[in-house]
Amino acid sequence: MKITDASIHPYPVGDSTLARMALEAAGLGFDSIVAIGDVGHRPDGPEVLRGAVISAASQKEVIRQVREPTVRRADVVYVNAGDISFNRAIVTLKGVHVVRNIHATRRNAFDHVAARSAAEHNVAVDISMAPIIQLRGTKRQRALQRYTDILSLQRRYGFPLTISSGARSILEQRSVRDVRGLCALFGMTGEEVSEALSSIDRITQPDQPVKVVR
Amino acid sequence: MKPRPPAMRAKRRYILARILPYGVAWDQKQVYLSVIEAATSLWGDAAIGFAQPAVVFCDGGYIVVRCRRGTEKDIATALATVNAIADERAALRTVATSGTIHALRRRMKPIRPLSEAGEVKFGETYFTVYRYPRQKVDLVEKGIKHQKSLFFTEVDLEER
Repeated sequence: MKITDASIHPYPVGDSTLARMALEAAGLGFDSIVAIGDVGHRPDGPEVLRGAVISAASQKEVIRQVREPTVRRADVVYVNAGDISFNRAIVTLKGVHVVRNIHATRRNAFDHVAARSAAEHNVAVDISMAPIIQLRGTKRQRALQRYTDILSLQRRYGFPLTISSGARSILEQRSVRDVRGLCALFGMTGEEVSEALSSIDRITQPDQPVKVVR
Repeated sequence: MKPRPPAMRAKRRYILARILPYGVAWDQKQVYLSVIEAATSLWGDAAIGFAQPAVVFCDGGYIVVRCRRGTEKDIATALATVNAIADERAALRTVATSGTIHALRRRMKPIRPLSEAGEVKFGETYFTVYRYPRQKVDLVEKGIKHQKSLFFTEVDLEER
């Protein structure tokens, strides 16, 4: 069971290099990290997976971007959530692993129909720690409400969750213990946090029927 | 004023946290204000009034936060939401919780630069280089206030 930070944004997007963030992640209790963007040389230490984020307005645009070589090379493909019809469509697409930025969408943008499809297609929903850490007041309350709603749907339909720091700096990375405390704010239990932190492997390498090798 | 007998005093817990970035001399009052802002914003006035958090130690890159026993988990969670101290980007990493400051002092390992600060130029900007154990390298932009910081490793610096 690998404890994974499901998204970090290393230098030049952020102010910390991938090697430094990997070093920091190892110290914070993570076994692997997903680096968004061009990973280049993978440093020693925790396993570094390559992530690609698709930001699109329509399903067609997502399908087009999923076929691009840079996205095909990625280990984990994220799509930024949008409105209700968009979210229902993208969870059924082959090649999409995780729906992210759910806290920034409108209320009920990810509903029970999308939740059921996500569970059937083994597509995860990402819970980012960044809004809980960075935001204050009503904006943070809204993010917590959205996460509570996602959690209740997850308990009902059983789609996978991932937890990410969304860090652009080592100053935004948090330890596994801190993540447990922050997730408890919207009612996530320790077991659910552990399962969400280790779900990346199950999403990228789902259980397949046994093949006979001759 | 005569102090209360020990049995009538409120039980306390002490949380040890490391401050990032390294090598900055933080003002204890500014750290306290950041902790209180983060904790009040997260838990509200009533809960924080009950928890009575206070920064009782701030030196060598570590702080000790005192709080009422039973509230230490909530305060530790609030420490994770601190993202600036005196308008400078910072983070607090909880190291340990204990019933005495004495026990926490044993967990404090001073973090000091390995050698004299160097200098490096990226584009048009000059950075001061601070090297720390485990090949960590912090680059701080040369200037007077609100300098940009970059966090590299020794290998990253050699590759540039």
